[in-house]
Amino acid sequence: MTTRSIKVENRLGLHARPSALLVKTATKYRADFFIERGGERVNGKSIMGVMMLAAEHGSELTLIADGIDEKYLIDEVVDLIQSRFNED
Amino acid sequence: MKEITVREFFDARKKDLALSLNTELETLNKKITSPHVNRPGLALSGYLEVFSSGRIQIFGETEVRYLQTMRDDTLYNRIKDLFTMDVPCIIISKGLSLPLIIEHLANDMQIAILTSRLSTVHLIQHLIRYLQDVFSLEKTIHATLIDVFGLGILLTGKSGIGKSECALDLVHRGHSLVGDDLITLRFIDEHLIGKSGRDFGHFMEIRGVGFVNVEKMFGIERVRRSKTIDLQIELMPWQENLDYERIGLANTYAEHLGVKIPIIYLPVSPGKSVSVIIEVAAMNMILKSVGYDAAEDFNRRVQEEIRKKSMMKNTAPITSKNNDDTLDKG
Repeated sequence: MTTRSIKVENRLGLHARPSALLVKTATKYRADFFIERGGERVNGKSIMGVMMLAAEHGSELTLIADGIDEKYLIDEVVDLIQSRFNED
Repeated sequence: MKEITVREFFDARKKDLALSLNTELETLNKKITSPHVNRPGLALSGYLEVFSSGRIQIFGETEVRYLQTMRDDTLYNRIKDLFTMDVPCIIISKGLSLPLIIEHLANDMQIAILTSRLSTVHLIQHLIRYLQDVFSLEKTIHATLIDVFGLGILLTGKSGIGKSECALDLVHRGHSLVGDDLITLRFIDEHLIGKSGRDFGHFMEIRGVGFVNVEKMFGIERVRRSKTIDLQIELMPWQENLDYERIGLANTYAEHLGVKIPIIYLPVSPGKSVSVIIEVAAMNMILKSVGYDAAEDFNRRVQEEIRKKSMMKNTAPITSKNNDDTLDKG
């Protein structure tokens, strides 16, 4: 299992477009993937779940991946979040 | 470019347009090459510098009365000038007639003069509708066309993916079949209209069963002759990692004959009821067309929640880079 903490960097938070990008990225990998925020945990491969987190700019997320390619999954998702989903 | 002979037009429309031929049969050989019609008022007054050839010329009451005011030699010359402009035929409305001298000239120059009993407005409306149909762009594709809740849905996808089976399921659920396997698309009135590529009736091939006559089996109300196409659904084998639409905010389109049709790529896998998903896609599209977009609505709610959280944060004590104590507390 790989776990990483990260802050949401884009100004508008995880609304539809960033959530879709995040889910699309995560689904490429075989590992199970979850996102935690303030004790709430959602499946990171479910668009509905990710959007319902309503994670705003600056909020802290914990990424949890479990599976053979977990490290690659986490690396790419972290890159995506840090790149602010090419938004701002 | 498309064309039809005046004879083909005459044979096809003489009943509907109450047409009769005033000239000899041989005059029917000219070709109509334009889907438009013309009222030659200006041409008859002598202005022929701008004139579109190949169009049916309509003589209404105005033209006929105007010709009556002319001296015989002027009349002869003006009509002769008009006839040299590659005019396929003339149609006179309201059952009116032209001076005999024009009919002689028309016979000489092999241009048909037809009379319709319809009013000019009616005649022109009928003609435009007919000509648009004849001259419309058209292509035939491998697809199935069904009417789901009044929406024309074009099902596409590789052979064997289950288009016919899916259509059969939809017919069984109360929707109607337009055509299976070969669909002819036409561009009419800015719309894409589809109908069965063959006039053999509403047959389908269901693998394992063979041919099925949908009209005989389910009744006349479950078949349609043609339908405007509103949505295309491409069935494709389920592939992991393929970029399927997850939210419904992005709009993708397919293009047929220059018309953009919304397209949905639908993964098919065992245990998925494709027909139910197609019904849902149709209903979602109807909701969108009356102004409700579920994807937008959901996203708006999420954004509202995000905004609230951000505002709560901003009302907390203002922190600066140099003030690490307050940052830790926050």
